[in-house]
Amino acid sequence: MAKYVIGIDLGTTNSVLAYTPLDVERPQVEVLAIPQNIAATVEGLTTLPSFLYLAPEHEQGLDLPWSNAPRYVAGEGARRRAAETPDRTVAAAKSWLAHSRVDRHQPILPWNAPADVEKVSPVTASQRYLEHLVGAWNFAMPDAPLAEQPVVLTVPASFDAAARELTREAALAAGLPQEFVLVEEPQAAVYNWLDDLGDRWRRVLTVGDTLLVCDVGGGTTDLTLVSVSEENGELALRRLAVGNHLLVGGDNMDLALAHFAAGKFAEQGVELDPWQSVSLWHSCRAAKEELLASGGKKKHTITVAGRGSKLIGKSKSVEVERDEALELLMNGFFPQCAVTDRPARQRVSGFQEIGLPFEADTGITRHLAAFLQSHGHEGEPARPTQVLFNGGVFKAAGLQERVLEVLGEWFSGGKRGAKKEQDAPAPPQRLAGAHDLDHAVARGATVYGWSKARGGVRIRGGTARSYYVGIESSGLAIPGAPRPLRALCVVPIGMEEGTETDVPSGEIGLVVGEPAHFRFFSSSTRKDDKPGDLVASWSPEEIAESDSLEATLPAEDTQEDYVPVKFRSKITELGMFELWCVATKGEQRWKLEFSVREDAES
Amino acid sequence: MHLLIAFKAFFLVLFNGAVARLVADVLRRRHEEPRLPEAKREAIAELPSAPAKPTAPKPARSEAITLLAALQREGRFVDFLKEVLSGFRDAQRGAVARDLHRDCGKVVERMFAIQPILSDAEGASVEVPSGFDAGRYRLVGNVSGTPPFRGALVHHGWQATACELPAWVGGEASSRVIAPIEVEVK
Repeated sequence: MAKYVIGIDLGTTNSVLAYTPLDVERPQVEVLAIPQNIAATVEGLTTLPSFLYLAPEHEQGLDLPWSNAPRYVAGEGARRRAAETPDRTVAAAKSWLAHSRVDRHQPILPWNAPADVEKVSPVTASQRYLEHLVGAWNFAMPDAPLAEQPVVLTVPASFDAAARELTREAALAAGLPQEFVLVEEPQAAVYNWLDDLGDRWRRVLTVGDTLLVCDVGGGTTDLTLVSVSEENGELALRRLAVGNHLLVGGDNMDLALAHFAAGKFAEQGVELDPWQSVSLWHSCRAAKEELLASGGKKKHTITVAGRGSKLIGKSKSVEVERDEALELLMNGFFPQCAVTDRPARQRVSGFQEIGLPFEADTGITRHLAAFLQSHGHEGEPARPTQVLFNGGVFKAAGLQERVLEVLGEWFSGGKRGAKKEQDAPAPPQRLAGAHDLDHAVARGATVYGWSKARGGVRIRGGTARSYYVGIESSGLAIPGAPRPLRALCVVPIGMEEGTETDVPSGEIGLVVGEPAHFRFFSSSTRKDDKPGDLVASWSPEEIAESDSLEATLPAEDTQEDYVPVKFRSKITELGMFELWCVATKGEQRWKLEFSVREDAES
Repeated sequence: MHLLIAFKAFFLVLFNGAVARLVADVLRRRHEEPRLPEAKREAIAELPSAPAKPTAPKPARSEAITLLAALQREGRFVDFLKEVLSGFRDAQRGAVARDLHRDCGKVVERMFAIQPILSDAEGASVEVPSGFDAGRYRLVGNVSGTPPFRGALVHHGWQATACELPAWVGGEASSRVIAPIEVEVK
């Protein structure tokens, strides 16, 4: 029996579970304290850090109230081990899920760990975090097992269909109910805001407003635009656009500051060992927030404790000038730039060793400029009127101010606070109301689940991306040259959940008994493509390749060797993308599956 | 069997407010009447069983050791107390104290959520009601007559608005360990 609605934020660096009773007039959202094992003690914390520690065989004291002698630890205990034993600690598994150049079912994490460590796949790591949340819930609410409650799980808006499918796979393996729903993280943050304000939101947002959700987490940046319009006399929210998956976030900033501070230690002749480097990284997280708070001190002392039992005797300190640090963090990550600027594209080679395709350009404001440009009209960038901040990075209030300042320069032709021209539009404003930076996504997912069951404001928008299947054009083969590839649109941007559509195309022949492969692409910017449209050429920014799709037609299904088919695409009620091959003669149809393995680079 | 139930109950009480209240109720009633009323017995019969089956009961550890271990782990508290302070400059002590203050403060805040008992400013005139709890107020100065009293607030008091200490799941042999021996394997 469903008693609650559960919202889960499976984050890159932190996961949160929130819930509300189902049978209430308004959602009453609570955040679950998640028991986790930290150095042989079990403590309940409201966030589960998304880290997984793979224990060596001799280690004991890893128990949880619901699990006896596990061989791994998820959460805060694992996060702490990341410093001491990086070879046994998995981090950022979620970023790997979206990384289509590796096989995400293969045990590859921790990346570069020695051979004797029993590694896990990105999918399994995600499953472990979710299993921990399921265990915590079932333990706290034994009379309402999670598998019997409506569950909403969040994914980055920038996750493509393949990454969503892998998330779903991990979630089902972890014991989420079959019919759980996916919702995009920035939308969830908006639902949380709506719930916070209640009916008053209609006074804050008005027809014609455009809301920018700026979500900068530990490892990723996720951008979304939501418009406010009027439908049948009611204010309606519609998700207009989402940004690409950007691997840059708060952790990069902390690391940059730590690297800077390490240079200062080196000037004093102090070499830091790896353990101290990580402890420096944590000190820098706190230092960042103090340095970026307006009116902070001119100098900030950063201390690294010695490793032995002598705390004061072995501690080393350096002084960091506030101006230097501001320069480094602001100009490195939130630079002043023009709305026409573009992120630099070349890869920095040093980052590649880590395995993930981190952004070459860490300038989040430049990515924001590119995002607004690509979703504008007639060469004019999209113009947000309000900004909703999300993600722990924005605890440093100076960064919220910087984003607003940059937006102000782009859209009102002058600095904020400067004397405005008569008819100049107001600069984008921080959305009035509470911005709960840590828990908004899980809370908002809960609100969304509740309003799905009980009714309430919903954000419309359908799919954030259009999807394409690669079709080799026929014609004369030129020796040595591959046949030109064209992209057949199978799902347009904005295709609504619970709908399906036939894709007009020529007949495509599938060979019976052999796997048929289709290259698969997506775009978050091509708004005008309709199912059946063929795109002949495109740039990598415009249309990106994802995992390929595969279908095998079992020989017993048909007498023929070769079956002519057409495509039919579907977005399920749960927000999942499905592509079917439908025989043009007869009634048979076959579902295409993502073939993650085929695409991995060996 | 009793140990198994005790183990389950321990965690349930720790992490589930409803169960904690129920158990508190049961314990209270045990003193009042030997038999539980019918309704309560049902509620206890429905006490959920945890999904996993822990095989061995866990050795207990003093919560005070657990608190010390947390303060040491997160804020190097014991290292600080055990260190001889003489011979260091104040700037060195200060640099360490800042981090210790932040990190130990976080632990204490998380586990005890400490709040002032009275919100009035120190120095303000406050009333001590008749029938006051002697544990909450300490009267100093010329105390005579009967309450209510009126006086100047010297200290607003502190109280723990929560008391959520972690549960120990380690082995018996290490139940007195505040910080383990650390060895870096090359």
